[in-house]
Amino acid sequence: MLTPPQSEAGRFTRTGKLTSILGTAGIYVIIILLLLVGLGIRQLDYLSLANLRSILQAVSLLGMCCAGLAFVVFSGNMNDMSLPMTMALSGMMAIQLIPYGIVVSVLGGIVAGTLVGVINGIMIGKFRAHPIIWTLAFNLVLSGLVRAAWGGSQIYPDTIAGQNETAQATAETFNLFARTYYFDGALPLMVVVMFIMFVLAQVIFSRTTFGNKLRIVGSQYEVARMSGINTERMVMTAFVLCSLCASVAGIFYASLTKIGAYSNGEGYDFRALTAVLLGGMTLAGGKGTMVGVFGGVLVLGMLTNIMTLIGVPTFNQYVVQGVVFLFIVWLNNYLEEKRGHA
Amino acid sequence: MNGDTSAAPATRTAPLALQMCRVSKRFPGTLAVDCVDFEVLPGEVHALVGENGAGKSTLMKMLAGLFGDYEGDILIQGDKQHLHTPTMAKQHGIGMVYQELSLARSISIYENLLVGRLPKKNALFIDKKKALIEAKALLEQVGLGKIDPRLDVAEISQCEAQLVEIAKVLGSEPSVIVMDEPTSALSSEEVKRLYDIIEQLKAKGIAIIFISHHLQEVFAVADRVTVMRDGKQVGTYNIKDIDTEFIVEKMVGKSIKDFYCTRHPVVTDDVMLEVNDLTRWGFFHHINFKLYRGEVLAICGLAGSGRTEIAMSIVGAAPQNGGVIKIKGEEKKINSVSDAIAEGVAYLTEDRKVVGLALTQDVRTNVLAPIIDNLASGPFYHPARHEAIVEQKIEALSIHPNDPERLVGSLSGGNQQKVLLAKWLATDADIMILDEPTRGVDVGAKQVIHDTILQYAEEGHSVILLSSDLPEVVGLASRVLILREGHLIGELGIDDISENAILLAMNGKGEHVAC
Repeated sequence: MLTPPQSEAGRFTRTGKLTSILGTAGIYVIIILLLLVGLGIRQLDYLSLANLRSILQAVSLLGMCCAGLAFVVFSGNMNDMSLPMTMALSGMMAIQLIPYGIVVSVLGGIVAGTLVGVINGIMIGKFRAHPIIWTLAFNLVLSGLVRAAWGGSQIYPDTIAGQNETAQATAETFNLFARTYYFDGALPLMVVVMFIMFVLAQVIFSRTTFGNKLRIVGSQYEVARMSGINTERMVMTAFVLCSLCASVAGIFYASLTKIGAYSNGEGYDFRALTAVLLGGMTLAGGKGTMVGVFGGVLVLGMLTNIMTLIGVPTFNQYVVQGVVFLFIVWLNNYLEEKRGHA
Repeated sequence: MNGDTSAAPATRTAPLALQMCRVSKRFPGTLAVDCVDFEVLPGEVHALVGENGAGKSTLMKMLAGLFGDYEGDILIQGDKQHLHTPTMAKQHGIGMVYQELSLARSISIYENLLVGRLPKKNALFIDKKKALIEAKALLEQVGLGKIDPRLDVAEISQCEAQLVEIAKVLGSEPSVIVMDEPTSALSSEEVKRLYDIIEQLKAKGIAIIFISHHLQEVFAVADRVTVMRDGKQVGTYNIKDIDTEFIVEKMVGKSIKDFYCTRHPVVTDDVMLEVNDLTRWGFFHHINFKLYRGEVLAICGLAGSGRTEIAMSIVGAAPQNGGVIKIKGEEKKINSVSDAIAEGVAYLTEDRKVVGLALTQDVRTNVLAPIIDNLASGPFYHPARHEAIVEQKIEALSIHPNDPERLVGSLSGGNQQKVLLAKWLATDADIMILDEPTRGVDVGAKQVIHDTILQYAEEGHSVILLSSDLPEVVGLASRVLILREGHLIGELGIDDISENAILLAMNGKGEHVAC
């Protein structure tokens, strides 16, 4: 068949930066706008250390999830819908293992959560299951398993520790994770962990073979395969990294609330994806940076913060978050279509 | 451009089924169809032939209403019509039978046949009984009277699906049916069945435009033939007055060989690649050939002959059911593309937009994609540090604009193809398999790519060229293997290579074919 030589110039902008209005630069413009709104409401109080800290601390769990989820989105697999149960599972496992010491507890939680990513990776990377359908179904399976395993009840670090004094001390340590601050309370440990994750993720994206291969896998799977890239392993690794980060977030969540429950990670699937997409990554994959994703996380955090300040009720906040999500997904599709990728 | 006298239609009394008067279609940079006069009589089978890129498909797409902005007039049954949309074309009695089947596989035959016009009982329900009767009647017209129209399309054979496709077109009562390579999916027995159906349609006074690369089919079924070349009409001939050699000569025309470099690299006796008995069931069987150092070996065959599949199996991107691949005399097991790259075999894929290039990434990312592991130090890899490689390739292939950070999707087709070639040259492979390396690129880029291929061979590497662009094969190849339905059926040495010889050999008519 004849394929007429058509000019493609114009269907793509020169570097693609312009098409992504909410690219790295754009998201920080929004942050400044939100800062101004905040200043308008609370005057200089808004920029107080306490408020900035509370914004950062509030987004740190979401940020950890996003640092991992970014790999999945970047690889062109859209979202990890099993994020909530990964968080719940790692938190509950860590609490359950408190009697065996803090090291076993934390490692156990991380291993349990990461295992979710290994299974996701095998199913999606090797057997090419649909990422959304598979992780959604697997999330349901996990929530059933978790409820069956713990008889549908919540668990608490101090009750699990029982009367044993060393175990009680371990429970204390566990609860302290989310309450550790550096520099006179200015810098929470959770925020430090989130920052470390973002820096590592950025290095992996830009300076490792894995990150650079993942970029090609994400932008065109078949091209990667025909370029000699082990596409299966790349996708598997992306899901494993995603679950690893979610497990850490899950442990902090359990430590913060002092509760291990199957509902621990609820809502993190969509909130994390919203932040990642706000940060300039695309559902099609292969685009975006961690600097941008961090901006996306901040915007979502500040939005929540401002809504709380002006007294928007929690349920109404969900509506706003949902609308932001729908908008960003629409924008994503719209820009892709404009770029001729429909 | 009508240098040859057109054959006069037998009778002029009835209005022409179709008349295209001085039609042209312009794409940015090219005139795909250049002032063509094309007419078809009622009840005539009119074959349309030409090499790839001659403008056949574009001409037919105009007729199908896919281009609103053609120049010239189209007359159907003597009335001037503007065919701006596919629906308009359909309404005016143009029926298109496409190469790729347009049936929905998971729904039933009758729903496919009557899509968009299922008879209704009332506002809510369709009249299934009536629909089945209508579908049955259509199927009978194509000799499928015994098939149950309630079956899903997925349940019938590919041949039957092709016939259902024709039945679907008949449903809109066309006066002209265009068949674009209708036999590409059919076995020779099934082709005969198609001929019978074409005879029946002819008897009903329906005009048929028949496009095929298989010239013997043209002689078997057509009444007249129009030859196209470079977007222009070469001439229209009565099939009785001509033979295969005549058509081939007209298709090829005065050779534009001068445009191609005719230098040929020195071929040595070193065997670089030896393929013994390579088989992939259903695609190709017992393929044997040797590739020498410094050689450009072309493998030619009609669409569906298995060229791409052979290349895919050699580089480990598709399975093989038997056979031995030796690289520089040593037997190698190649199970993946990365194995192939490690053994010094590169495969430049056809269709750069789907399997060739990541269009949303920049030139640098694309060029370095296959060699990330070679450039890495441990797990670490920093693309910007290897700018020299990219810049050297940009320079060597004069990729324009010469910016490694430019998105590949924003480049012209020719420059995209250069990036694809740069990507595989960067692997420093000794053996390069090039699948349609210049499809859809402009003349300038073609020249650069051809020069680069020859230079690569002259440097002591080897090239396997899979191309349906025959002038390109003649200009570059030092040896041509002829592939037909998955079997190598012949070989042309350097002195025998000409477009005519290759075309005849591919159609099973050549003197050099050693079956």
